[in-house]
Amino acid sequence: MLDLLLVHPVSANDWISFDIPSLIQNFWSATFDGLTFGAIYGLIAVGYTLVYGVLNLINFAHSEVFIVGAYAVVLVLSALGFGPSVPTLPLSSIILDLVLALIIAMLASAATAFVLERVAYRPLRKRNAPRLVFLITAIGASFAIQYTIFLVRGANAEPAVTMFQAQPVFDVFGTIINSQQIIIVIAAVILMILTDQFIRRTRVGRGIRAVAQDPDTATLMGVNKERIIIITFIVGGILAGAAALFYVMLVPSGVQYNGGFVLGVKAFAAAVLGGIGNVRGALLGGLLLGIIGNYGQILLGDSQWTDVVAFVILVLVLLVKPTGILGTSLGRSRA
Amino acid sequence: MTLLELKNVSVSYGRIEAIHDMSFSVEEGEIVSLIGANGAGKSTTMKTISGLLNPSRGSLTFDGQEITKMKAHIRVVKGISQAPEGRGIFPGMTVMENLDMGAFGRKDRSGMSADFERVFTLFPRLAERKTQIGGTMSGGEQQMLAIGRALMSAPRLLLLDEPSMGLAPQFIKQIFTIITEINQQGTTILLVEQNANQALARAHRAFVLETGTITHSGTGKELLANPAIKEAYLGVG
Repeated sequence: MLDLLLVHPVSANDWISFDIPSLIQNFWSATFDGLTFGAIYGLIAVGYTLVYGVLNLINFAHSEVFIVGAYAVVLVLSALGFGPSVPTLPLSSIILDLVLALIIAMLASAATAFVLERVAYRPLRKRNAPRLVFLITAIGASFAIQYTIFLVRGANAEPAVTMFQAQPVFDVFGTIINSQQIIIVIAAVILMILTDQFIRRTRVGRGIRAVAQDPDTATLMGVNKERIIIITFIVGGILAGAAALFYVMLVPSGVQYNGGFVLGVKAFAAAVLGGIGNVRGALLGGLLLGIIGNYGQILLGDSQWTDVVAFVILVLVLLVKPTGILGTSLGRSRA
Repeated sequence: MTLLELKNVSVSYGRIEAIHDMSFSVEEGEIVSLIGANGAGKSTTMKTISGLLNPSRGSLTFDGQEITKMKAHIRVVKGISQAPEGRGIFPGMTVMENLDMGAFGRKDRSGMSADFERVFTLFPRLAERKTQIGGTMSGGEQQMLAIGRALMSAPRLLLLDEPSMGLAPQFIKQIFTIITEINQQGTTILLVEQNANQALARAHRAFVLETGTITHSGTGKELLANPAIKEAYLGVG
């Protein structure tokens, strides 16, 4: 250790240096990469934000709701013949297979969220358990699911499943945007708009908002609170399942039993950054977190910095605006 | 005909019993007032009738059907509607959205639009402010909205928990005039009040609640004239 220090003397100047030319040069590619990952964070973040909105509970096990979806994607696609190399199937059958994987991942994540709510949280509500008990249970449930996966699938990452070769689609300021980035961002935005409209316009959505704003009064209006809660978990699960497909598309060999944790933490941070309880905030927070992390990484010259920068920004935003950028919204202002 | 009947109802919060062995009934078409001091168990009684709280003993019957174990959101569909204490306006929703929430369990479009008309006739102020966000309204306006919203489920029994709380005197009179009007249109009303004067003057029958037990009962006029009640609740000796 001492030798190391002697051979490589570290000065503050070496340790943190701002590589501004590199940021300028890579600005657009960092932005588009960041948006793509940010869209995935945003989709996962909706699950945190909705459940927090109706139950005031940080559902730590939501990262496992996501990872179960990712396993579903890998297992379905491997069964359909996908593997580490680029598939040689015709495009139409690839699309069909991916849609099938998407649906199954959504079902798997939604089912996980459903079981989680029924087995872990509902019994606590029936007993009027204190808030801290819910939190501990959430953490416990997170571990329980992780290690169940570990038991069934082992410690190693699942073999890669490559969905399709990313094709360059168009060129923005000298940066190529590829087909995967476009698919992920557009699909995520569409899913978020649908979710937002579901909450704003439908009867069930009104029920969700009412329970978030005042659960007892909502009950007095004839809202079945238990039903609203389970629907909220299922909606979060469906979006996490979609996020899982997109995640595997970007990182084909990234599915491991504990792989949900880091994404879960970032998605939760995205939810807080955008304003927890706020569906639009979840998307905004996700995209910002993705982009800012990438800028930080290039500016500081090392991928280790991605999360450091992202979370420093999160802390700074919360110092200035504790309710997040768009404010906590299912509750106070209009969803 | 008896619309609501409580038989030997006790309600506890943990080990503390807030209501002891309470029995009373509300006849169809009546205004019945429950008066009492803070902590006498008035709100607990209301929440037990609307289903937010479950009794530890006793039974509740509504329109001849036992509802002791019925879930709160189903009682709304059966015809029990509560304007909760503190009004319970959804702060992030507009006046229209709040009223819509009142009709959450309904599917009869025509009946709903008739009830919107009814509410806007009773409370012209709400008609003027359809798009205002609930949380930005004054206390009196919120109380109107809370009562209007409770009417949107077309209840047979309307539960009003402290409708005069926090209101300016001219508003209190207005609210009670409207409550009488709602009753004359055919809705049975059970109301809970600290403002005993108005509550007794408007009621067909009334009960006095002290530490979880009914201590006096009679017509509104009888209780208004009762010297003990005058001293304890009406501020005259």
